[in-house]
Amino acid sequence: MAEPSTVADPSTMDRGARAIEIRGARYVYPTGNVVALGGVDLNVDHGEIIGIIGQNGSGKTTLTKLFNGLLKPTEGTVVINGVNTAERSVQQMAAHVGYVFQNPNHQLFARTVDDELQFGPRNIGVPEDEIRARVDEAIEFFGLHDVKEEHPYRVSFPIRKLVGIASIYTMRPPILIFDEPSTGQDHNTTKIINDLMRRLRDEGTTVVCVSHDMPLLADVVERVVVMKATEIIADASPREVFADKALMARTNLQAPQSTEIALQTVVGLGGPVALTPQELADDLVGRLSGSAPASSTRKR
Amino acid sequence: MPDPIIRFENVTFSYAGTDEPALHDISLEIMPGEYVAILGLNGAGKTTLGLCVNGVVPTMLAGDLEGSVTVGGLDVADYPVREMAKLVGMVFDNPEFQMSQMSAEEEVALGLENAGTPYEDMKRIIPETLKLVGLEGFESRSPLGLSGGQQQRLAIAAVLAMHPKVLIMDEPTSNLDPIGKQEVFDMAAKLNRENGMTVIVIEHEVEVMARYADRVIVLDHGRIIMNGTPQEIFGRAEELATLGLRVPEAAAIAAILSARGLWKGPVPITTEPAVEAITELLGAKNG
Amino acid sequence: MSMQAALPVALIPGNSIIHRINPITKIVWVVGYIVLAFATQNIIILGVMAVFAFMLAPIAGITRPLLKGMLILVPIGSSLIALQIIAPAVEKPWTPAWELGGFVIYTDGLYYGLVLLGRIVASLIIALVMVMTTHPSDLFTSLAKLKMPYILNFMSSMTLQLIPVFQREFGIIMSAQKSRGMKGSGFAAVLPSFVPVFVGAIERVQQLAISLESRGFGSDGHKTSYRQVRARPLDWIIGVLGFVVLIGLSVISILKGLWNISALITFPGPFVAGLFFVCAAVFVGFLVLIAVFSFKK
Ligand SMILES: Nc1ncnc2c1ncn2[C@@H]1O[C@H](COP(=O)(O)OP(=O)(O)O)[C@@H](O)[C@H]1O
Ligand SMILES: Nc1ncnc2c1ncn2[C@@H]1O[C@H](COP(=O)(O)OP(=O)(O)O)[C@@H](O)[C@H]1O
Ligand SMILES: [Mg+2]
Ligand SMILES: [Mg+2]
Repeated sequence: MAEPSTVADPSTMDRGARAIEIRGARYVYPTGNVVALGGVDLNVDHGEIIGIIGQNGSGKTTLTKLFNGLLKPTEGTVVINGVNTAERSVQQMAAHVGYVFQNPNHQLFARTVDDELQFGPRNIGVPEDEIRARVDEAIEFFGLHDVKEEHPYRVSFPIRKLVGIASIYTMRPPILIFDEPSTGQDHNTTKIINDLMRRLRDEGTTVVCVSHDMPLLADVVERVVVMKATEIIADASPREVFADKALMARTNLQAPQSTEIALQTVVGLGGPVALTPQELADDLVGRLSGSAPASSTRKR
Repeated sequence: MPDPIIRFENVTFSYAGTDEPALHDISLEIMPGEYVAILGLNGAGKTTLGLCVNGVVPTMLAGDLEGSVTVGGLDVADYPVREMAKLVGMVFDNPEFQMSQMSAEEEVALGLENAGTPYEDMKRIIPETLKLVGLEGFESRSPLGLSGGQQQRLAIAAVLAMHPKVLIMDEPTSNLDPIGKQEVFDMAAKLNRENGMTVIVIEHEVEVMARYADRVIVLDHGRIIMNGTPQEIFGRAEELATLGLRVPEAAAIAAILSARGLWKGPVPITTEPAVEAITELLGAKNG
Repeated sequence: MSMQAALPVALIPGNSIIHRINPITKIVWVVGYIVLAFATQNIIILGVMAVFAFMLAPIAGITRPLLKGMLILVPIGSSLIALQIIAPAVEKPWTPAWELGGFVIYTDGLYYGLVLLGRIVASLIIALVMVMTTHPSDLFTSLAKLKMPYILNFMSSMTLQLIPVFQREFGIIMSAQKSRGMKGSGFAAVLPSFVPVFVGAIERVQQLAISLESRGFGSDGHKTSYRQVRARPLDWIIGVLGFVVLIGLSVISILKGLWNISALITFPGPFVAGLFFVCAAVFVGFLVLIAVFSFKK
C-alpha cells in the first residue's frame, strides 16, 4: 500500500485548533422555508472519527453539507480547519474537505472509472506521478480492477458507489464526509468501507460518517452524534448511545443486536455493553469457562 | 396441499449481450401465503429472479430464457407485464424512479385506473392504503417532493392498492431509518398473515429476514445455494461466510460459543431466544 | 414545498371563476384563439383578442406571474419587428422610410410584423392563462376524455413533471463537482454535468417504464379516472359562446381573404425608423442582460 500523500497531508497544512467548529448553526431551505437545522453546536478534533445518526429528515445531510460549504448557514458560523466557510467557495474548500454524496450518480461524469479517480486530485494540483500512484492504489484497495476502463455508469450501482468513494479518497482530504456510504451495499462491499474507515483512522484523517448501519458504526466510530428534528440531542461514545434504550426509541433507531442482547444479559452482571458479536461472545466465554473476569474485555 | 403459486422449472436466463447467465438452472416452488426472503451478494441474480415472477424478464428485458416460470398457472413468457400486474405487484429498489404523477394520491390511483376500478372503490381504497403506509395527510403532495423514505412507502402503497396476490419487494427499505424499515416489514407481515398475500423480499439485513421470513433462499452467481427456514440457513454461519454473507448477530454469538463447545441448544436467530438461552446458560453455570 | 414552483410556467393555485372553469371549456377557447389568430391578418381583431385575454389575469389573480411568463415576448417581439422593418416579408417593391448609406428601412413590413406579433401575443396569453389556472391533472384527465391517446397524454404530463426534477438534479450534480474542486465557470464548466443528468434521465425512463407496466399501465380494456372533472351549465355556455364567436370570426375573416387592413393604415417614416432603433436596442440589451446574468451564476 502506498504511503499517504504529502500534498494534502494534514500535518503540513495550516490547521485551526479544531477540524470542525460549528456555533449556533441554523439552516433554512429557501424552498418552502423548511427549517432543517435549528441552532447546532459541534466540535470535531483533528483525527476524530464521528458517526451521525438520526431518523429520516432529522437534518443529517444538511448538517454535513455545511462542512464543505455546499450550504452556508443561515445563522451561526462554520469553521473548518480554521477557515470560515462563509468566506470561501466550495472549490476552495475542496482541498480541506472531501464529500461523498449518498447518490453516486450525482458525482460521477468521467469517461472511465480510472479517469474519474484522477479528476479530484488533478483539480487540487496533485503532481501527475502522485495521481497515478494514488489511483492505482485505490483501484487495488476498492477492488475496481475489472471495471477501471468501464464507463462509471456501466457498472452496477453498488460498485458505482465504491467508485464515488474512491474518487474522493484519491484527493486525500484531511477531512472526509460520508453520507450513508453503506446503504444498498452487501456484506462484501460494506467490509471494504469498513476497512477504509480503519485506514483513515490510521492515517489521521478526520471522518464524519452519516449512517444507519449500526454494525459499521459500532466497529469504527469513536463518537456518535444523534440528531432528532433539526437538533443534536446526544453526543457520546457508541457504547453510551446504544446503551440508552430511551434515546434509541425516541429517535427511531435501533442498537446493534449484540448490544441489545448484552443489555438484557451480561450488562446486569457487570459485563460490557458489547457492540459486536465477538465482544459479547468473548465475555460469555470468560463467564462460562469461569476464568477471566468479565469486565476485562471492555475496551473503553 | 394447494398448488404452488410460483413455480420455476430449470430456469436459466442470460441478458441479451452477456455470456454469463444471470440465473442458472433455478428450480423453485413458492406456496400461496409464504413469506420468502432472498439473500445474496450484489450481482447474485436476486433482482433478475424477482423480475421473472412478474414477467419483466423476459418480456421487457430481453434475453435468452430456458425453462419456464409460471405464476398462478400462467406462463409469464406468454403474457405482457401489464397483464401479470393483476397478480404480481413489484416494488423496485429506487423509489424516485417509480414516481410519475402530480400527487401522492394519483400515484396510488394509477394502477387502479389501469385496472378499471370504479371511482367509488378508489375513493375508499386510496386513503386506506396511504394510511396503511403512514402517509395520511400527504394525499396532494408531489411525490418528487417527498423524502426518500416517504417515497419508498408511496411506491409500496401504489402497488399494495392493487391488492396483488404476490408482493415482491426489491431492497425496499434502503433509504429508511431502522424503525421505518421495521414498519415496512411489519406491514408486509400483516398483509401476509391477514390477507394471505405471498411476499417475496430481497434484503441484505439478515437480522430483519430472520424475524419475518418463513423461508430464506440464498443465491450465488445465479444459482440457488441454500433454500430453507431461517433457522436452518442461519445455523450455517461458516458456509455463509465463505459466500461472503453473514448471519444475524444472535446466531454469530452462538456460533462462536459453539466452536468452543459452550453452546448446546438450537441456534437463536433473533434477540429474544438469544437472551433466553444466554440467561439459561449463565444460570446453569452459577446455579 | 412545491416542486412545481421551480417551473417558470405552472399552476398558480386559486379558486377564482377562471380557475373553476372546466378544462375542456378552456381548451375550446385556447384552440379557438389559435385558429382565429392564424385565420386573420386584421390587427384590430388580434389586438382585441390580446387585450381580452390579458383582462382575465386580474380576475384570476395571476397578473404578476403572467407578466413574468410574457417576458419571453420581449426578445421575440423586438427582433421580429426589427427584422420586418429591414427585411419585410411582403412582395417588393418596398417603400423606403429612411436611409443611411446602404442601410434602408421600409414601412411595408411593419404591418405584417404587427400581425405576427399579435398572433403570438394573443395565443401565448390565453395559453398562459389556461396553464396558470388549471391543475395539470385535471387538464390531462379532460384531454383523456376528449379521446386524446392515453400514452400521449401521459407523456406530456410526465415531461411537465420531469423539468423540475432535472433542474434539481443539475443543481446537485454541479455542487458535487464543485466539491471535488472543479474550477472555472461558463459553458465549459457546466458541460461535464450534462453527462450524469443525461445518463440519469435514461436510467430513470427505463426504470419508470418497467414500474408503470408493472402497475398495468398500457393494458387494454376499460379504464377509470380518479380525478373527477365536472361540467356545469356555465361551462357549456362559456364554451359554446367562445366556439361560436371565435370560429365564426375565423370563417368571416377567411371569406374576406384574411381581412388584411394594411391599406387603411399608413405608418409615417420617422415613426418606423424610431421603432426600429427602439426594438433593436431592446433586443441587444436583452442579450447583454442574459450574458451578464449567466456569467454571474
Ligand atoms: N433541497 C431541499 N429543499 C427543501 N427542504 C429540504 C431540502 N433538502 C432537505 N429538506 C428538508 O430538510 C429536512 C432535513 O433534511 P435532511 O438534512 O436531508 O435530513 P436527513 O439527511 O437526516 O434525512 C427535512 O425536513 C427535509 O424535508
Ligand atoms: N439489464 C441488464 N442487462 C445486462 N445484464 C444485467 C442486467 N441486469 C442485471 N444484469 C447482470 O445480471 C447479473 C445479476 O444481476 P441482478 O439480478 O441485478 O443481481 P442482484 O439483484 O442480486 O444484485 C449481474 O451479473 C448483472 O450484471
Ligand atoms: Mg440524508
Ligand atoms: Mg438487485
